[in-house]
Amino acid sequence: MPGSRHSRFASLHDVELCSYSATGERRAFGELVRRHGSAVRGVLRRMGAQPAEADDVAQDAFLTAFERIAEFRGEGTFAAWVKKIAARLYLRRLQRDRRLGAMTAEAVEDEPEPSRADADAAIDLEEALKVLGPVERLCVTMCFGAGLSHSEAAEALNLPLGTVKSHVKRGLEKLRTRLAPEDGVVLEGRRGNG
Amino acid sequence: MVELDFERRLERLFADAPELADAGPFAERVERRLDAGWTARRWLIGAAGVVGGVIGASQLMVSNMFQRVETAGDSARLLSNSFTSLGHLSSGADWVASLSSGGGVVWVAAGLAVVMMGFVLTRVIGEI
Repeated sequence: MPGSRHSRFASLHDVELCSYSATGERRAFGELVRRHGSAVRGVLRRMGAQPAEADDVAQDAFLTAFERIAEFRGEGTFAAWVKKIAARLYLRRLQRDRRLGAMTAEAVEDEPEPSRADADAAIDLEEALKVLGPVERLCVTMCFGAGLSHSEAAEALNLPLGTVKSHVKRGLEKLRTRLAPEDGVVLEGRRGNG
Repeated sequence: MVELDFERRLERLFADAPELADAGPFAERVERRLDAGWTARRWLIGAAGVVGGVIGASQLMVSNMFQRVETAGDSARLLSNSFTSLGHLSSGADWVASLSSGGGVVWVAAGLAVVMMGFVLTRVIGEI
């Protein structure tokens, strides 16, 4: 009975569900999708994907994850693993549609700096991300949302490592102004994972 | 330090993705696609097995396999008779001579091969 199978899987840990999935148990994998689907779709939306496109890419990412579930060693969380797959798939789609080049070109144009009045308002992450340029948004979300290192993001974006680090730094500065105006401290360092 | 705190806070914000209202239907769509892929794969393997079987059978027919077996059987019987006349029975020659019984052995072997292919296909589908 499908319902009882779902409830059986609902009580299991992600690692156990991955083991079942590796044996071809599609209902176990469905439970993983139920648990982490929103997070994966959320990362893609935060990278700038429209909801419908984010759903398409997230579906493809989960199907890829199912195909490659034997490669998942449990070193990180399942959600983080799928988010990385999804981020790379989305970038590939951007490259295929030649949208990534346009984004990179746009990045040289300066975006308007958020005003202090805006910063004082309570803004959630979604809103804060909107002030970032497309590539900054991609870089920040890939590094902080999908868990890619700077090097991995640079490779996926086909951009120099230094450029990615600059985008992340600028993006963080803008986010910080929006999310934590009370700190008032300018970022100087960098995320040491590149 | 402040910078690190902010980065951690940002990671937490990213990790705290809100549950989307259509999380259930989304998961069902993924499951349907998984099922569809699975069904397609089974059909593909089955079709490949049938095509392989047909090609194998047609090759057997085209190569005059049965006629060759008959000829080999006749030769073996002749050889066996010669040995018998010489008073030296050869069990090997007798066995080969038994092939002359209308190619029945070949049909049995072909049947066994089909059954074995069925087992192998079942295992392959199970493994995938």
